[in-house]
Amino acid sequence: MSLEITNAIVEAIPRFEGYVYPNESGTHPLWGFLIVLYPYITGLVAGAFIMASLVRVFRVKPLEPVYRLSLLTALAFLLCATLPLLFHLGHPERSFQIMITPHLTSPMAIFGFVYAWYLMAVLFLELWFDYREDFVEWSKTESGFRGILYRAFTLGVTDVSDKALALDHKLSWIISIVGIPSAFLLHGYVGFIFGSIKANPWWGNAIMPIIFILSAMVSGIALCVFNYMVLTWVRRRTLDLRCLDVMGMFLFYALVIDATVEALDWIHRAYSAEEGFHVMEYMAKERLFYTLSIGQVLVGTLIPLLLLGILQVLRKRIPDAVRKRMYFGSAVFILIGVLAMRWNVVMGGQFFSKSLRGVMSYKLEFAGVEGWFMGLILLSLPFIILTVLIKLFLAERLPTSGHVPHRMEGI
Amino acid sequence: MGNKLNPVGGGGWLPAGLASNQEADHMSRFKMPPQIFRLVLLTIGIVVSYLIARQLLTPASFRDFGFYRGAALEEVASRTPVYAGKKACDECHSEVLLKLAKGDHKTVSCETCHGVSQEHAGNPDITPVKLTGSHCIRCHEANPSRPAWFHQITVKNHYTGQKCTECHVPHQPNEVP
Repeated sequence: MSLEITNAIVEAIPRFEGYVYPNESGTHPLWGFLIVLYPYITGLVAGAFIMASLVRVFRVKPLEPVYRLSLLTALAFLLCATLPLLFHLGHPERSFQIMITPHLTSPMAIFGFVYAWYLMAVLFLELWFDYREDFVEWSKTESGFRGILYRAFTLGVTDVSDKALALDHKLSWIISIVGIPSAFLLHGYVGFIFGSIKANPWWGNAIMPIIFILSAMVSGIALCVFNYMVLTWVRRRTLDLRCLDVMGMFLFYALVIDATVEALDWIHRAYSAEEGFHVMEYMAKERLFYTLSIGQVLVGTLIPLLLLGILQVLRKRIPDAVRKRMYFGSAVFILIGVLAMRWNVVMGGQFFSKSLRGVMSYKLEFAGVEGWFMGLILLSLPFIILTVLIKLFLAERLPTSGHVPHRMEGI
Repeated sequence: MGNKLNPVGGGGWLPAGLASNQEADHMSRFKMPPQIFRLVLLTIGIVVSYLIARQLLTPASFRDFGFYRGAALEEVASRTPVYAGKKACDECHSEVLLKLAKGDHKTVSCETCHGVSQEHAGNPDITPVKLTGSHCIRCHEANPSRPAWFHQITVKNHYTGQKCTECHVPHQPNEVP
């Protein structure tokens, strides 16, 4: 009986269409859902950091309420950024060896350097300088586990004189400035991994790093909007609508630029119509219709563009409650759309044959290392870490130093 | 130029701002801000522990032949094989193998269809786990890149709802049952 069922399924789902090579016809793509999550999570990190730097470097005052939340979001997601890669590689018993045998000859291995720099030299340092004054304060008032933690985080330095704090701010600002190109490099690097594969017309593209950075900014700001709204809702606090409006404005600008550059890429590909274009066209119209045309273009770009565009023009005429829902909806749509975009890039590049005359199919399974259940776990992990970080470093009952950009009204 | 630089102590020249001995002393006693000092210590601590971890955790055979674990091949070779090989099948099932040798499937390994059989070869009571599903069409599904002489079918057109084995004899594919 099982043979009949299997045969029926095999018949129902053709594994390939057109002309494909024998070694492509029956196998699954080498990179699965976990590799889709890797650029997605890394992009959220870079985007959330750029969101924070709007406050620190570009002095966008209305965004101060989300400054720390954005940095903690970046940290929570960065801590999980390598997990999809390591899970994909398997062999947890020797996964640490990737850290202790660094080298510069493989683009994949260079991620270790990029990651270490970004985590240790940028994010940790900026957070530490920003929080130092509060750590000193909290280490005096808190007891138990929290007290030990805050005392450890002061690194034994209790100097909170004006001079010391001025130095903290200055260094924090410098790190933030260094952080912006670092965030661009972090995610530009992820784009480069795909963009540098010149044998694959779907990937090999010089503006791939730029597309990745722009979509990262869009998704990171959307994630900050999402987190801010959920956090205020959980805490039963009033939203700072001015902050939300400004976030929405930056989200709109970022989305306009991102959509334009991606559209430009397609127009350029369509006009130049190089040898791989007809298979890409087929992919967009048929094989990736739901994730590309519906997910990425309609849900992830056009609907949020419309919603955010309306909000830019008619902000004052729309009631607050509707405005909030429109912002929340746009953020969620963008987050789904960017995930779809990562799927289209990673899986799309593997769906068509090297002959450029045939396509393979793939069904995302529920169970297994590359299944969507595993992906769901990996995607919820940064949110769990973020909850812990918020409880530790954004607790409502802990007093925060009043200086900019520390003001946390609304949260 | 004489206006901007003043002679100091032993006859050296310093910019006007650092003219007095007092100020020069202040400069020499420059103290690193405490938070920077602790960060430098922490950085040194992290780098040193990384280097120690690197010494301890790098696999012994790493770099023996290049940028990989030299013992990797031995590690893989030391695994228990799960395939028994045709010779092991021949010990008990020589009559089937004789039939097989006459047909087009003579080069196909027994375990390609019958599943891994190392355990079965050691203990005949253990039945090998037969591959489920459509393993015939793994090779015989039509694919334009396969050679023309190779027997191929388009499952959609060829399959009529029966098992392949109802019409074909896998051990003697040239015969009809």
